[in-house]
Amino acid sequence: MLTLLHWYTPLIRFYTLIGLLLITSTYGKAQNEIPSIHINVINSPLIEVLNEIATQGDLHFSYNPKKIRLDQKITYSANKPVKDILEDLMKIASLQYTYLEKQIILKPLKTRGKNTNKNTIIHGYIKDNNNGEALIGATIYVSELNTGTMTNAFGFYSIALPKGEYNLSYSFIGFEENHQIISLTNATNIDVELVEKPPILEEVVVVASAPQLVEEIQMSKSELQPKTVSEMPALFGEMDVIKSLEFVPGVKSHSDGSTFNYIRGGNRDQNMIMIDDAPIYNPSHMLGVFSTIIPDAINHIHLYKGDMPASMGGRLSSVIDIRTKNGNNKKLQAWGNTGLISSKLGLEGPIAKDKSSFLMSGRISHAKWLYQQKNENIQQFYFYDLTGKLNFNISPKDKLFISSYSGSDNYFENNSGVNWANTTGSIKWTHLFNNRIFLNTTIAGSSYQYFLHADIENNTKWKSRIANLNFKGDFTYFIRPQSVLTFGIAANGHNLNPGNLTSNDTKIQPPLVSIKNVVEGIAYINHEARVNDQWGVKYGLRFSSWNNQGASFEFEFDENHHVIDTLFFDLGENYNQYNNIEPRLGLSYFFNKNSALKFSYSRNVQNLHLITNSISPFTSLEVWLPSSINIKPQIANQVAIGYLKFYPNIGVSLTIEGYYKIMKNQIDYKTHAETLLNSIFEGELRFGTSNSYGAEFLLKKKEGRLRGWLGYTYARVKNTFPELNNGQPFNAFYDRPHEVNLILGYDITKRIHVGTNWTYYTGSPYSSPISFFNFNGLETPIYGQRNNSRLPDYHRMDISATLNLNRDLSKKFTHDLTLSFYNVYGRKNTLFINYNKTETENGDFRIPSNLLENSRTSSQFYLFRFTPSLTYNFRFL
Amino acid sequence: MKTVLAICISIIGLFTISCEERIDDRIIPEQTNLLIVEGIITNEKINHRVKLSLPHSTQNEVALPATNAVVAIISSDDDVTLLNESPVGSGEYYTDSIRAVYGKSYLLYIKYNETEYYAVDYSSAGQPLDSIHLTETIVNNLPLYSLKYEKSGTKPNYITYDINWEQTEYCTTNTIDCFGKLIYYDLKNIDVQEIYAPKKEAFLFPVRSRIIRKKYSISDKYQEFLRSLLSETEWRGGLFDVQRSNVPTNLSEGAIGFFAVSTVVTDTVIVGI
Repeated sequence: MLTLLHWYTPLIRFYTLIGLLLITSTYGKAQNEIPSIHINVINSPLIEVLNEIATQGDLHFSYNPKKIRLDQKITYSANKPVKDILEDLMKIASLQYTYLEKQIILKPLKTRGKNTNKNTIIHGYIKDNNNGEALIGATIYVSELNTGTMTNAFGFYSIALPKGEYNLSYSFIGFEENHQIISLTNATNIDVELVEKPPILEEVVVVASAPQLVEEIQMSKSELQPKTVSEMPALFGEMDVIKSLEFVPGVKSHSDGSTFNYIRGGNRDQNMIMIDDAPIYNPSHMLGVFSTIIPDAINHIHLYKGDMPASMGGRLSSVIDIRTKNGNNKKLQAWGNTGLISSKLGLEGPIAKDKSSFLMSGRISHAKWLYQQKNENIQQFYFYDLTGKLNFNISPKDKLFISSYSGSDNYFENNSGVNWANTTGSIKWTHLFNNRIFLNTTIAGSSYQYFLHADIENNTKWKSRIANLNFKGDFTYFIRPQSVLTFGIAANGHNLNPGNLTSNDTKIQPPLVSIKNVVEGIAYINHEARVNDQWGVKYGLRFSSWNNQGASFEFEFDENHHVIDTLFFDLGENYNQYNNIEPRLGLSYFFNKNSALKFSYSRNVQNLHLITNSISPFTSLEVWLPSSINIKPQIANQVAIGYLKFYPNIGVSLTIEGYYKIMKNQIDYKTHAETLLNSIFEGELRFGTSNSYGAEFLLKKKEGRLRGWLGYTYARVKNTFPELNNGQPFNAFYDRPHEVNLILGYDITKRIHVGTNWTYYTGSPYSSPISFFNFNGLETPIYGQRNNSRLPDYHRMDISATLNLNRDLSKKFTHDLTLSFYNVYGRKNTLFINYNKTETENGDFRIPSNLLENSRTSSQFYLFRFTPSLTYNFRFL
Repeated sequence: MKTVLAICISIIGLFTISCEERIDDRIIPEQTNLLIVEGIITNEKINHRVKLSLPHSTQNEVALPATNAVVAIISSDDDVTLLNESPVGSGEYYTDSIRAVYGKSYLLYIKYNETEYYAVDYSSAGQPLDSIHLTETIVNNLPLYSLKYEKSGTKPNYITYDINWEQTEYCTTNTIDCFGKLIYYDLKNIDVQEIYAPKKEAFLFPVRSRIIRKKYSISDKYQEFLRSLLSETEWRGGLFDVQRSNVPTNLSEGAIGFFAVSTVVTDTVIVGI
């Protein structure tokens, strides 16, 4: 179509010129000659509507295609004279027309308000028409001023405009665009509810507006829709938010069976996972085979890869900002599913229609019966998640949100077992002061506890805990269109138990490991603005003050890491402080509305550190420690440059980003460090720097019959620790230069959807022996350079097919079946290579018992070859 | 702890179609000039051995001996004991019949290829052996036994079990198959890697087998060495491996291994008697 338009452009211009010359003399007479026609279009481009009018009315349109958005979608139905239809369409499309001898000349509507300098405000919320859920990152576009804004994490927007008449376009991916014509004379509240697009089976969908990621100044940000997560094939059919992130360029997973992610060269504890502003410290179930976060109760997921907004921080490498649904405030609905491992059930609905709502969802595993086939002594074998949310519209200016999450794993057999639990809760109050100033006040708490029950009868257990309570106020000041100032303060309290053993058995006298307490103060300010049509800038500062507080005790170490003194601090005594300033800078150059070049610099500080020298993919007995006398804050400086291009004709966006990051005060460990029940474990830590750089490429198509993305990442990470590897740099475990991810979803029919993932990455570095020696009959490896070898390259393909079991898709009760295959071609992806086992007659690999025998062999261990699963989902609306 | 291990392995193993299989040797050997030292003197009045060898580059290879070294042990009372290589060319050096005295420290001196090496350790107090625990299993209508490992005493230690059924009617094959040597380490630590360590091969022996047990006390340094040693050997390959690293040593630069001083308590058990 565009090609045709290109060839016809001279002709169109000719008609336009002729039309303009004759317009004034013939207009009045021509009005009476316009016939009646019938138009009925749903979500069709303007060009198609014009063609239809031209055909039925035997008319010709003349216009300059550079000035008129022919691709804007129109929904319109009428049977009346062309004149009336044209007048309706002109309002919708913000055009004006003149008529001349069957020629209709179209021009953009001149805005009367342009001459008025005084600004006034339009604000409101953009929601899903179906359930009242906030649409986060929805776009508001003012065509007359070629400007716009986006909704925040609560679906709120505010834009200051000169008084006048405007055509506003509200849009969000997957929803019909909404047009509003307003005459703006004073502050106006416009709440808009967008209608979800029905399933369409078009290969290519022309998308009118560029994605938010192109339009905003922020870079190094990825978004993931819960629907996308739901459509991806998943291990055992357990749809998983955290695991789906590993397909995003720049994010590297540990391996199969793990929820650990390594982002842009950062370690796995450098990612802040937040649910409604409350942190989650261990998002894993079954040691990491599954994550705690399922997409059903999620509204939106944003991943910031180092370039975090100033309002966010606390980790070096990323913030994963997860917002839960508010709950349907229009009607009651239930949903759920069941599979091999677990079942889920969710219920949401209005408390008072359109004013308040609730959401409850739960998941519980039912794998115990499977385990009992092998072991009758099993006492407990389950995990669960519970999510709840309450949402109240107190007044037009005030909203209250209360949300909670609780999840736990419990595995007990006979007299021992393990369990861990995450609990979070938050209360949010949003208040609109004066149409321009938005306040979000949050009180959030979070707790993660881990227990190793060694002897239940004697109540002997090892316990580790991290808990925090946060209070913060976030202000957003909408200064003018596309100029937003955010600022806020926060106060956090942290309490950490790095692991202590307690027992009723008086013979057990374990060492006492000091409890740690911290009070943290944070202030930030950030200004983000479009300077003109081409340039955008964001700059901000985040200040954090980290204060270690008694009651506690700390050790002083000499240069050989031997304890030379013990320091005791009283309750409430501030004994150590770290103040840090974290500047953030972003510059964007917008070539046009569909392409931009961006640059960012960010400095991030991390004061909570995961202490573990495990190289396992599974969560183990981990402890968290705060920055203190012996542990300095980790600091990262990252620069990134990116190019984003959106191709509206095919609905595809291209993102290319390069980054360089230096991380200081990184933590590693002395040889075979002892981190459990070691009161002086800080003496086991070694500190160094890490350098990472890389380039990320992403081609993404969000809409249409075929959806998905193709990502490629080139990334390197080198660590340098003066006391490790003879001070020589070495590859980090997650230094994997090449990674490719392909995610595809395809609607075969409106009832059948198929999806596939394919992933490839270079094998992870590990330390391979260079020779051996014998001691006490044990053949012991001798290592050379650290991480001197690599595991075999990893790749796998997953596929899934979902069949909607309803013939009539408009029914209130819908259900579907998903059949998925993980690792469909059965690749043996190596998890570990061992050199110390012997193969038994049964083909098992065991540690030799008899030290007089020499029959060790090299072996590899892998997980998840060709794992099928079947999941049944239902939804009652 | 073993139950916890079983639970955790099951979590992964039950659902996963996980597997371990033999692979081609991936080791890329590098030449090192390290001297390997394996030496211990105890409170037993015997000829104590210090074994010197060189690293080997493939698994199960017999290590090359380090011969013609000068080896001596010097007590904290300055008593010097020279060790003799026996047989010559074996790399095994023996003292005269002496005993290590509790409370004293001992220095190992080695001169090999014109390079001198040193190591120091001290003896720690021993603790008595607990009674032995065996598990009976019927295999092909024959009662066979295995050792049941239990923590012993309050201090770090390890127990060696030299098992011999050469003199029984059950030793019908090559006599070399009628011996076994097992060691159980009790280092009094809590290590994730130990808790989740891989399974050991079953070792069964018949009735009337003779078991000589020796319980070795270990110094703090020796405990640290053994913990690292196990981390790289018996504990490696489980679910929660730690970063691979060279095992520390109490020897001076250029040598690895350990020279230990220990207090030993010993007994002999005849199975089923």
